[in-house]
Amino acid sequence: MLSTLQPPRSLSLLPLRRFHCSKTIVSAASSSPATTSDAASVSPPQSQILTTRRSLLSGETTASEIAKSYLSRIRLTEPQLKCFLHVSENALKDAEEIDQRIARGEELGPLAGVIIGVKDNICTEGMPSTAASRILEHYRPPFDATAVKKIKELGGIVVGKTNMDEFGMGSTTEASAFQVTANPWDLTRVPGGSSGGSAAAVAARQCMVSLGSDTGGSVRQPASFCGVVGLKPTYGRVSRFGLMAYASSLDVIGCFGSTVADAGMLLHAISGYDRFDSTSSKQDVPEFESQFLSVDRFESKPLKGVKVGVIRETLEEGVDSGVRSATQEAASHLEALGCVLTEVSLPSFSLGLPAYYVIASSESSSNLSRYDGVRYGNQVMADELNKLYECSRGEGFGGEVKMRILMGTYALSAGYYDAYYKRAQQVRTLIRKDFKAALEQNDILISPAAPSAAYKIGEKKNDPLAMYAGDIMTVNVNLAGLPAIVLPCGLVEGGPSGLPVGLQMIGAVFDEEKLLKVGHIFEQTLKGSSFLPPLLPNVA
Amino acid sequence: MATRALLSVISASPRRIKIETSIFSSSSLSSSLQLQRYSRKAHRIARSFSSDTNPSVLQPPDVARLAETARISLTPAEIEECGTKLRQVTDWFGQLQQVDVNSVEPAIRAEMEGGNLREDAPETFENRESIRASIPSFDEAYLKVPKVLNKE
Repeated sequence: MLSTLQPPRSLSLLPLRRFHCSKTIVSAASSSPATTSDAASVSPPQSQILTTRRSLLSGETTASEIAKSYLSRIRLTEPQLKCFLHVSENALKDAEEIDQRIARGEELGPLAGVIIGVKDNICTEGMPSTAASRILEHYRPPFDATAVKKIKELGGIVVGKTNMDEFGMGSTTEASAFQVTANPWDLTRVPGGSSGGSAAAVAARQCMVSLGSDTGGSVRQPASFCGVVGLKPTYGRVSRFGLMAYASSLDVIGCFGSTVADAGMLLHAISGYDRFDSTSSKQDVPEFESQFLSVDRFESKPLKGVKVGVIRETLEEGVDSGVRSATQEAASHLEALGCVLTEVSLPSFSLGLPAYYVIASSESSSNLSRYDGVRYGNQVMADELNKLYECSRGEGFGGEVKMRILMGTYALSAGYYDAYYKRAQQVRTLIRKDFKAALEQNDILISPAAPSAAYKIGEKKNDPLAMYAGDIMTVNVNLAGLPAIVLPCGLVEGGPSGLPVGLQMIGAVFDEEKLLKVGHIFEQTLKGSSFLPPLLPNVA
Repeated sequence: MATRALLSVISASPRRIKIETSIFSSSSLSSSLQLQRYSRKAHRIARSFSSDTNPSVLQPPDVARLAETARISLTPAEIEECGTKLRQVTDWFGQLQQVDVNSVEPAIRAEMEGGNLREDAPETFENRESIRASIPSFDEAYLKVPKVLNKE
């Protein structure tokens, strides 16, 4: 079957030709950096959001045409990929409404006509929202999550709900109760997780951008595996209202896009204080768009003087050699762009992984107690109330969820609290201090997004510790509450046409701007790779 | 079950070390030294520690009891499978005992600004019908559940 896959460029044969940006990415990557700063020659950032806006305003196309072409692509590719748990019946109607507004000369929101996938643990009013769990099968929430509400208000079209590891607990999307999503780069491999559906859908251009959630790397690791941009904001930047809670002190809603600009613009749309989430911040949300500077503007090195710390502990043995060299090449590339590189050490780095799993499982054991089969979700009838809870939860939760609830119940048991939960919280303090010190010396820190590229479906399914070890690059960032972006930086061998590797850039609290600025320059100047997955079989 | 549990406590330390090496096979000389430093400190500290932070007295998980506490019914096969995995994971958690956290304040979450609570006042949710439609068993104004009192 794999031999029928085509090389990446042939994706441009598909119906979305007009909207995807392969051509422009390729030309940006292959052209030599201009030395002129003539404003007229400055090209706008590569962005499907901006392209959509331009083509709607110029009348080149309609929102309905765009929506139809994405829906048809979803129909064609879903049998192989299985990114979506639900495709909206209203997407076309929503698009027609936008066309009517254009016809009436009304103002358009910045996301008008943008086709957006939403992870299934983010509530969408009247549309199934199951967190890929049987216990919520067929559940339709009575409200939109704040992030979804903002997207809709700005004209975005929610095209469907994407597959994930049940309640976000997993790193491969294999722990979904309903289906296993394939990686568009190689259908025998996992897309990563837990936001695997959101990442794979953007990679396969089934939607322009998507929302995911990131508790310990669930946006960044699948972005790396699928060759797309994944943005995890600072804790508190985006309201968690309507995000089904897994580990409340770590959970954030994050963004996927095929370019840095798209991920940044989506983040801007969903950011800001929300009175329904007391942990959301009142910090101003800056206009990220001003960070998307074209390299054409610069006469000399565009990132001159930006201080970049390379985290030593993330490039040692145990990290795949291909990933290591891709990261080192990315570091050299940043240096060539003018960055000043230093090696930094985070002594607490390796402790983050067990601390994370103690904290996340403890909080999940508390958060998931709400799924009792009484007020919503699936109920298993019994003759006694406790039996009803036990059977509804026993039948409703999958293996990994049960494991983590039990793990958390154990860590929070009387007499164990100090040894596990409190101790993990103390380790979190150490981690935060280490990051803070490193970020006082540097503008950003870099590391791989995961120790390897995408692995085979089933490879780590029954070995929890092997699976957890894959989160080593990302969990510390959640423990410290910092923002981070992952963007493709190279390919390693594997699959029909190579497998993408992501570079993680970590910033100071609420400094997403710097990540977007550096990421955008990096993306424009990275040569040789277009990061479009190979053509899927039976689609041409 | 009890015998196996006891054995697992006895073997906890060597196994933990083995798991650490497999997870942190990436440890270079410097981070191995780091770990050694931690364990030397842990040794020193362990002597003065109260019993609840000493890993040797932490009992391995009793899956059946935990499942009852968490209100999750498990089949015997699941109890068996969960038990093996849980023991593996909690052994691995054990390395946290070796960290010197004396006088380190626990952090319950990322740093946050305070004062973002909204007024504690009731509000009417408009979409009540939709909430009602999600309730699996509903009778007039009540959620219906089986009897609460135990037979005993």
